[in-house]
Amino acid sequence: MRAPTITTSKLFGRPTWAQRAEQGVLWLLRLCTYFVLVCAAFIFFDIGWKGGAVIFKTSAPFINVPFLTEAPETLNVFMRDGQKVTMGDRAFREYKATHEALMKGAKVETYVYSAGGIFPNIVGTVLLVAGAIFIALVLGVLSAIYLSEYATDGTFIRFLRLSIVNLAGVPSIVYGLFGFGFFVIALDFGVSLIAGWLTMAFMVLPIIITASEEALKAVPKGYREGSLALGATKFQTIMSNVLPYALPGILTSSVLSIARVAGETAPIMFTAAFVMRDELPWQVQKWTDFIFQGVMALPYHIYVVASKIPQNEYTRDVQYGTAFVFLFTVAAIAMTAILLRQHLRKKYQW
Amino acid sequence: MRTAPSSSGPRPSTSAALLRPRSGWFFGLSGDRLIKLIFQGNAAVSIIVLGLITFTIFRDAWGFIPMNRRNLDTYRQAGLEFTDLMRLPVTAHSTLVRYLSTLRQEELVRLTQGLGGSGASANQQLAAYDAFAEHFAETILAHEALLATMTELCSSLKERSMVAEDLRQAKQTLLDGMRTAPLARAASLKQAAEAMQIEVIDFKAEVAPLLALRPAIVAANAALVTELQQLSARLPSFSDAAAQARLAKFPGFLTQYLAELASTAEQMAAWDQAKPVGVFESLNAFAFGREWITASFWQDWYGIIPLLTGSLLIAFMALLIAIPLGLAAAMYVNQLAGPIEQRIIKPYIEFISAIPSVVLGFFGIAMLGETLRRVSQMPALQWVPGFPMAERLNATTAACLLALMAIPTIFSLAEDAINNVPRAFKEASLALGATRLQTMIRITVPAALSGIMAAILLGFGRVVGETMVVLLCAGNRIEIPNVGAGLGVIFQPVHTMTGIIAQEMGEVVRASIHYRALFMVGVVLFLVSLLVNWLAQKIVRRYRISIG
Repeated sequence: MRAPTITTSKLFGRPTWAQRAEQGVLWLLRLCTYFVLVCAAFIFFDIGWKGGAVIFKTSAPFINVPFLTEAPETLNVFMRDGQKVTMGDRAFREYKATHEALMKGAKVETYVYSAGGIFPNIVGTVLLVAGAIFIALVLGVLSAIYLSEYATDGTFIRFLRLSIVNLAGVPSIVYGLFGFGFFVIALDFGVSLIAGWLTMAFMVLPIIITASEEALKAVPKGYREGSLALGATKFQTIMSNVLPYALPGILTSSVLSIARVAGETAPIMFTAAFVMRDELPWQVQKWTDFIFQGVMALPYHIYVVASKIPQNEYTRDVQYGTAFVFLFTVAAIAMTAILLRQHLRKKYQW
Repeated sequence: MRTAPSSSGPRPSTSAALLRPRSGWFFGLSGDRLIKLIFQGNAAVSIIVLGLITFTIFRDAWGFIPMNRRNLDTYRQAGLEFTDLMRLPVTAHSTLVRYLSTLRQEELVRLTQGLGGSGASANQQLAAYDAFAEHFAETILAHEALLATMTELCSSLKERSMVAEDLRQAKQTLLDGMRTAPLARAASLKQAAEAMQIEVIDFKAEVAPLLALRPAIVAANAALVTELQQLSARLPSFSDAAAQARLAKFPGFLTQYLAELASTAEQMAAWDQAKPVGVFESLNAFAFGREWITASFWQDWYGIIPLLTGSLLIAFMALLIAIPLGLAAAMYVNQLAGPIEQRIIKPYIEFISAIPSVVLGFFGIAMLGETLRRVSQMPALQWVPGFPMAERLNATTAACLLALMAIPTIFSLAEDAINNVPRAFKEASLALGATRLQTMIRITVPAALSGIMAAILLGFGRVVGETMVVLLCAGNRIEIPNVGAGLGVIFQPVHTMTGIIAQEMGEVVRASIHYRALFMVGVVLFLVSLLVNWLAQKIVRRYRISIG
């Protein structure tokens, strides 16, 4: 009886049914994965392409400076010598005063917020994010130190962890409602920076606590034990032997939460954001007015220009331009955080 | 904390002396204890915040129940409820009239176009049908006249009661102000308050003329019943079989209508103005109310059902897209992808979650909505139910974008769960000769199932709580999605719980019933998020495989 010969044609011949099924499923999964990536890429491409056309110029300074440095204005569109002319509100008023005869009976279409730029919105967003992150970082890092260094199992800790997990799941609009009901109305802050700061700080608090705790826990136990063995107090140990090594991780998480805070609209809609405001945030009488003033913010501006004005050739620029600035700023922050984390993971391996 | 052994002995040992907590300088606290307390206090902020959120939204929502009670009470007292009962048969009748006229329209089209007849001859053929339809339309005239009288009576009464209520509140404000104001001013306030003429409305007497119409209504009902019964015996016929079949359904509708009429008549006869509105009735009007109507001249309704169904419809559709894609990506990246692919795809998907929701919403308005509508208008796709889309912004537009937001959440958590399955499981399966696919489907995924379920739940939480995308892209029509449209229901514009808060909160009067109704919606959202979280944790804890 002859032993069955193993030939190359049997080994590398036509794939078996199981192999073919595996290949099929592999490709199906791959297709799904890449479909998601392509969808996201398309959004970036669409906004990048159309918004980029607003922000970048082909001629010398290459960047649309007025769009980034002026306040939003109403756009006026009217006919002059058979041609459509577009003008911002201020220029239009001057023009109207000087060309009174020409403008008599002329039909003028107006589009709110479609001229000028988005400078106050950028300023407002930066202020909102900076304040919220500062508050959230202080509260969050201190909480995380407690959770990772001091906490021993008990009712308080169980309750604390439960609160953190549940806070993380509360929808942002509910934070908005809370901020409105508590800070704006009950504490009578009005629509103000401080109401927005606190609302958003509380919103990212769970994220910062969880991430910071993870960073602290990643520091090897030996570091603490060594320090304690040499007679340092617990606080000294934390300050000199734990925090410095956890700091990069904490910073990364805070950068990621900046992206989250900057991207949220719902919590600031009724706590801090104004649709339109003429003064810039630093044009205030006294410093207390500073924290009790509402500001214009980029995400809210996008909401307003996307939903409250018609979609046409005149309003397109401000819509896509604002979305471009906002999306790519947030994306850049998020990208920094993600890259930083990958780098740190490689660098710190205990 | 270090604990000292009791120093009851005459000479404490050296270690005991060293380990005894030194008494501190600050309220008896040592430095280290103090620092710990500071950290602890900070950590407690999370608990306080959760407590504050709960307290604030519940406190503001709480007032809704008594206010809605008053709202419903006025509705009953002023006879609006009675009038609305009368409105039911009239509305149902007009639906039937519409049904008849649609039939006629179709038949006319068939006669003139399909059979090539002229308009005049077609009309002649339809003459018998027209007479029937016209007669049917006329049967309700008596009811309509009665309804008009009743509506006028009620709305003027309601308006007067609203004016009186407003004045009463203004007076109360003045009187409240009087207590804190200085004497001279208090006197003037009091004078102003007393000068207010507040009409005291005797609802019982005012509604009497309305109730006096009862015999007329009964008479009209009786007349309607006999006429409809006669009419249903004289049903005309169409030559076309399909049209005839639809027309043949009409007597059935009529019988149904008559039954409804009888039950409405009973309700009207039993209607009692003095019946008090209970707490449960007020709460039910919110929890099971099918209408959300605000700032109406007739009656405001705050029912959450249209918003809830809208939210759930969108969330389920988004999950329907996001679950397969997210899980596929997680399986692929964790089990099948090469190291380079892994290193790129994971951060990329994480990066998607950083796209601000308002930008996605804007993309939906500016790009996706229009694209989807164009696709739906393609002749080759007309077999799809609901195509072509009536509205550019509808549940599908929002769901597509929400799916993109849910994918990173589902992906990251599911990938983690798959990653946490012990290597030994996989290796044992492979060693037994299973293919990679078999290992993944039979071993790895079932072992990670609890984590995957939690991922899906948290994805659901994310989608239900999302605001900006649904506010911008869902179409914002406050109506319960019409299931009668079959699958086409997914292309209808809807409104959502998050959307209504964002849209109306900015415009409501503080502490008004509308304001409190929005907080009630917030409470529902809050409870949903807590429930989702609790379930997710429970699943993870319950079904966690022991790694041994």
